[in-house]
Amino acid sequence: MMNRGGITETLAPPGTNSLEDRHVVDARHGQPSSYSTSTAGSEASSWIPQSVNNSFTGNGYSASSTYGYEQQTQPPRRDDMNGATEASSLSLGSTSVPQDYNGYMTYQNPTNSYGYGTTGYTGYYSGYQQQTNPSYSQPAGAYQSTSSPYQPVSSFQNTGSYPVPPSYSNSYYGSGDYQTAGTYPNSNYSTQTTWNDGNYANYSTYQYSNYPSTTSAYGSGNSAATSVQYQPQFKQWTDYHAPSEVSCAPGMENLSVASSSNPACPTPGVPNGTQASNSQPPPTAVPSWRPEPGLSGLPSQQPSVVAGAGHDNYWKQHAAPGFQNQNSAAGQSAFYQPMESKNAYGSYMDEQRSTSDQGSNLQYPVVHQAPQIHQAPQQISPALDPRRGSRVQIQTNPRIVSNLALGLTKTEKAGSGTTAAAKPAYIGVSLPKPSDKAMSDDASDPALKHAAFPKSLRGYVERALARCKDEAQIATSQEVLKELITSATADGTLYTQDWDAKPLFPLPDMDGLSNTLQTPPPLPTFRRSPGRRTKSRWEPLPEEKSVNKMPPLMTEPVKYGGYMNDRNRKPYVGNSESKDGLNTKNFLTAEQKTGSFQKPFKRQRLSDSLTTADNGDASSDSDKESSLTAFYSGAIGFSNTPEERKKRERRSKRFEKAHGNRVEINHFKPKSAVSANLYARRATAIVLSKTFEESGSKAVEDIDWDALTVRGTCQEIEKRYLRLTSAPDPATVRPEEVLEKALTMVQNSQKNYLYKCDQLKSIRQDLTVQRIRNKLTVKVYETHARLALEVGDLPEYNQCQSQLKTLYAEGIEGCHMEFSAYNLLCVILHSNNYRDLLSSMSRLSNDAKNDKAVKHALAVRRAVTTGNYVMFFGLYRTAPNLNSCLMDLFVDKMRYKAVNCMCRSYRPTVPVSYVAKVLGFAYASSVNGGSEEKDSVGLEECVDWLKAHGACLVADNNGEMQLDTKASSSSLYIPEPGGAVAHGDTSLAVNDFLTRASS
Amino acid sequence: MAAYLSMGEAHRRITDYLARFSDAVASQDVASLKPLLSLSSASPSLVSLADALNLLQDSNRLIKQSDRYSQFAEILAPLFRCLQNYRLHNLVDAYPAYEKAANAFIQEFRNWDSAWALEALYVIAYEIRVLAERADRELSANGKMPEKLKAAGSFLMKVFGVLAGKGPKRVGALYVTCQLFKVYFKLGTVHLCRSVIRSIETARIFDFEEFPQRDKVTYMYYTGRLEVYNENFTAADQKLSYALAHCNPHSEANIRMILKYLIPVKLSIGILPKDWLLERYNLVEYSNIVQALKRGDLRLLRSALEEHEDRFLRSGVYLVLEKLELQVYQRLLKKIYIIQKQKEPTKAHQMKLEVIIKALKWLEIDMDLDEVECIVAILIHKNLMKGYFAHKSKVVVLSKQDPFPKLTGKPVNA
Repeated sequence: MMNRGGITETLAPPGTNSLEDRHVVDARHGQPSSYSTSTAGSEASSWIPQSVNNSFTGNGYSASSTYGYEQQTQPPRRDDMNGATEASSLSLGSTSVPQDYNGYMTYQNPTNSYGYGTTGYTGYYSGYQQQTNPSYSQPAGAYQSTSSPYQPVSSFQNTGSYPVPPSYSNSYYGSGDYQTAGTYPNSNYSTQTTWNDGNYANYSTYQYSNYPSTTSAYGSGNSAATSVQYQPQFKQWTDYHAPSEVSCAPGMENLSVASSSNPACPTPGVPNGTQASNSQPPPTAVPSWRPEPGLSGLPSQQPSVVAGAGHDNYWKQHAAPGFQNQNSAAGQSAFYQPMESKNAYGSYMDEQRSTSDQGSNLQYPVVHQAPQIHQAPQQISPALDPRRGSRVQIQTNPRIVSNLALGLTKTEKAGSGTTAAAKPAYIGVSLPKPSDKAMSDDASDPALKHAAFPKSLRGYVERALARCKDEAQIATSQEVLKELITSATADGTLYTQDWDAKPLFPLPDMDGLSNTLQTPPPLPTFRRSPGRRTKSRWEPLPEEKSVNKMPPLMTEPVKYGGYMNDRNRKPYVGNSESKDGLNTKNFLTAEQKTGSFQKPFKRQRLSDSLTTADNGDASSDSDKESSLTAFYSGAIGFSNTPEERKKRERRSKRFEKAHGNRVEINHFKPKSAVSANLYARRATAIVLSKTFEESGSKAVEDIDWDALTVRGTCQEIEKRYLRLTSAPDPATVRPEEVLEKALTMVQNSQKNYLYKCDQLKSIRQDLTVQRIRNKLTVKVYETHARLALEVGDLPEYNQCQSQLKTLYAEGIEGCHMEFSAYNLLCVILHSNNYRDLLSSMSRLSNDAKNDKAVKHALAVRRAVTTGNYVMFFGLYRTAPNLNSCLMDLFVDKMRYKAVNCMCRSYRPTVPVSYVAKVLGFAYASSVNGGSEEKDSVGLEECVDWLKAHGACLVADNNGEMQLDTKASSSSLYIPEPGGAVAHGDTSLAVNDFLTRASS
Repeated sequence: MAAYLSMGEAHRRITDYLARFSDAVASQDVASLKPLLSLSSASPSLVSLADALNLLQDSNRLIKQSDRYSQFAEILAPLFRCLQNYRLHNLVDAYPAYEKAANAFIQEFRNWDSAWALEALYVIAYEIRVLAERADRELSANGKMPEKLKAAGSFLMKVFGVLAGKGPKRVGALYVTCQLFKVYFKLGTVHLCRSVIRSIETARIFDFEEFPQRDKVTYMYYTGRLEVYNENFTAADQKLSYALAHCNPHSEANIRMILKYLIPVKLSIGILPKDWLLERYNLVEYSNIVQALKRGDLRLLRSALEEHEDRFLRSGVYLVLEKLELQVYQRLLKKIYIIQKQKEPTKAHQMKLEVIIKALKWLEIDMDLDEVECIVAILIHKNLMKGYFAHKSKVVVLSKQDPFPKLTGKPVNA
């Protein structure tokens, strides 16, 4: 880092300008439209030479810078951008570096906003989509969209990130070169890059958030060159990954995300020997990246950049896989693919394994991310990845909060150590897989990923993709999803998050989509790798347990990402500005703020969005710093605008929630060792949210309580019901898709009611715990209510009925009429309160009154209130649904009343056959015109019943049984219930219940 | 605020109010205290005071400037706030302020040995209920959960607790009870009435007749309605008849409300109202039902019930009216019996089931043999018809003596 720093410093001065230029270029790249890349190209080349490491760090920066640029770029060219920035920042023209900074500052500010935006979608949405749409368009939109759900988390991060900006600025200053280098790659990647950047921004934000806690630890401890390097690398990687999406990028991403930490660790060394890295997965990855960005990527990019119109070219190239491919072809390509694949795979594998072992979610996510990245190019797979990314992000937030301390240290250490070690083997594995996967279609990758991912995530991805109208949208969505998932992986929230509840990100605009689409094509290689990765992910799942180390790694990766950023920034600061970095940072932040304010206006929304992205990165850095210093908090003040945005975003989120969308859950899944902290995390989450609010001056109402909802990770379909005595453990809670399966399983089960009831209760519990209230919930309750009715388990039925009442009231579809009929019957038959009956009757809508089941229920009521037993048993015969089950419960009472009535009014006798017919003992006969067998059965039953109730039976001359009404009228009584038990509730008599249930 | 209001004028109005309040309390002059608390009266003095308060925001300072006023600061300060909000039609905020003032007032009221301020307490109890109802309307119009009336219910319960003991204040308990009934009926939580009723009816120390007339009538009206819900027609008839007998004959609206429940009750015990009564009190929805009872026209009864189903369901008399069906059957059979008697006096007491089915068919009511048999069995069982049914021959054998006994004030045998 020092070296780098030095380099950067030296470079910085010129670099800054160049950086700016580059940024501009990058922006242009991102924006495709007008980029005079000439400078960029040259700069890029120079940058590349400067140092791969730098480039890495730079990449991270670059990404951010790119964002800024992009924003600027929208205007068009670098020059323009610069001019604009200058104008806005006042001093831009004056001091190259300062200017750069200013630019950065502004960018950062925007970035901050971005960070917010990411976190706070508002910024993104408004700025991004609008602004971005043009250039970033889809990607940005995607990001935005993704970010939107994430927002809560991201917002946190953002806050953290705010302070960070200074660091960025520092880094920018010092590492102008770095940045440029990074930028270049990014710029080269251009659109994709921007996307990635966006992702990165998210990552960084996440990381940032992590950082604050981690950072403090890290910053101090990790400040070590290695750590620094790692971070930079990671950042770079991330950036690369994201931006470069290019094959290299994927690898990078992989590394960065899950293994990123690992790669990063190795990377320091790795960077040097790219090929060597092949042996060492992480290293390889790094090298590959470097080559890409620096060598192949830069060159290619530069050309394109130079072309100015080149953006299109770039795009095309990307589309044609040219960039990445080209790069790889350049010789890097070899590296790339192998490297990437290997690295990625290795990392993936490692990650996956580790992930599986640990709260491996993180790792998985990482893996996913890598694939995603790769896929990102590809439309389909990208989508998945984005999702993963998003998840990762989300998860990260919570995790960050809780894990901050734990995760940071662990991740770093574990990440570095384990990853490096494991990687080789993994690499080997991964490589093959990649190829295979590569072979397989993108779809295969997604599928693979799906397997590895939580079902809910899959569902989420499917939902996200399902609404896409065309390929462009799909591609964009995939990008977004990729980011989402990557971030989620990084955060470790991949599995914890409630994807079902998570609102879908807004669909990116078509324009943006088209851009994204273009980008994807270049990534064929990536696809392969993703595919492989996905497979690997799947495979790893079982292996989760195996690697304990992996979990730490996984967490680390996420943290690393953050660290990387932080470190990068810090290193930069340290390097470039040396120890004054903090101060400078502070200044920078201040400047940035001011600058940002200025620029945003000038730059317009687009620029804001771009800046936001930058800010995202910067913010992450700033987060660390903020946590470190009070200054940052002061600096945060700048973020007022961003905060406001966050607020707005939150509010809008809330609306989304209100609409039934659920915001992601911040809870991490504590499957692994990390999980032990679940409760602590929650607590921390709350505290954090509070602190955030305080720092951000957010209203208490903005606390995202939904964030504290559990998201299950359990994949078991069968689960026994156990009344909770403590907060639910996500590891034992099943997510929605699993619950769906469980429901079908119960419905098709041949086992007795006790078993089904138990299963359904556990399903209900999982639903409640996860606050899932949708059609599935209704279905579960309906199923249970029907089952309970069939066996006469009224207490259970009543529970379901009352839940259904509120669920229907919320407008969730179900068999509303059927159950309002049941409800009516219940009131009629089991309540002596006419007021209840009246109110339930008066509440019936006209529609309901015309419903068959409800009509039947109303007729039953009439029969009951008038004591018309003939009518009652007639209705009993024709009862729809399970109405007869409820009527069953009233049959005895009705029969007794009827016999009483008959005994009073009939003289001298009534044939028992008539009684049996009228009182429903032999109803089959009346329907079928009399199967005598049934008749006789009904008759016998009737005789038994009459005798049991004290009726006097006599046989007439024909031997027909007659009810002696006069004699019976005084002798009728209601017998003691047969199965009477001491506690008075026969349903509690287990034996009896079992026989009933099993019958 | 049509006219310009000067600060001095505002100041004067506020201090004037404060002086009137403290004077009224000091002299225990409830007549002059009442209007000071009556929010909904919209008296000009209160309106102008509210305007003054909205102009002069530091009214609390005026309250505190003198010991005379500051001893009532807990009442007056929230009351002023309430007046301000009320004037601005912000009822949701006005309610809690009024409740706060009312709470402070009953604290004071508790400390007064005599019941001189009972009338003022009535005003408060009334105001708080009405204000809560209006605030709830505002809340639900804004899509929020109406909750104020519930709060008013628990506040009134507290007031009831202050009054329900022994002593001169007990006279006021029934008024509060009636306000509580109104709240509970409106909220649909009539089961909460039970505890209040128990406390009123079991306390024999205090004769019910000593309560004010208007409270007694209101109380009987509500308890009578409760009995209708319980289908306890004898008690319902007694209570509602009491209410009707003691109700101010000039308040026709109240009479109509009482009749709305009393008529179904009377019908179900076999007493039919005169047509002019239904017309005079605009209760024509019952006229067809009365007709059906007179004619034994089952079809008319059913159509009348269907026509006014919503109304009957809402007022809670639907089930009562539906049970009149048996009386209509009885009337129908009686008509058949009379016709048979005219044609063939010797066999008149034997009524064939086919004849009944035929008669029902004329009414376009299609019932099969079993069902008619069941109806006949029920009629006999319920003692609406004397005799027995011979299943073998499908013939109703009627008693020769008074085969169709009249209910004459007794409910149908349950």
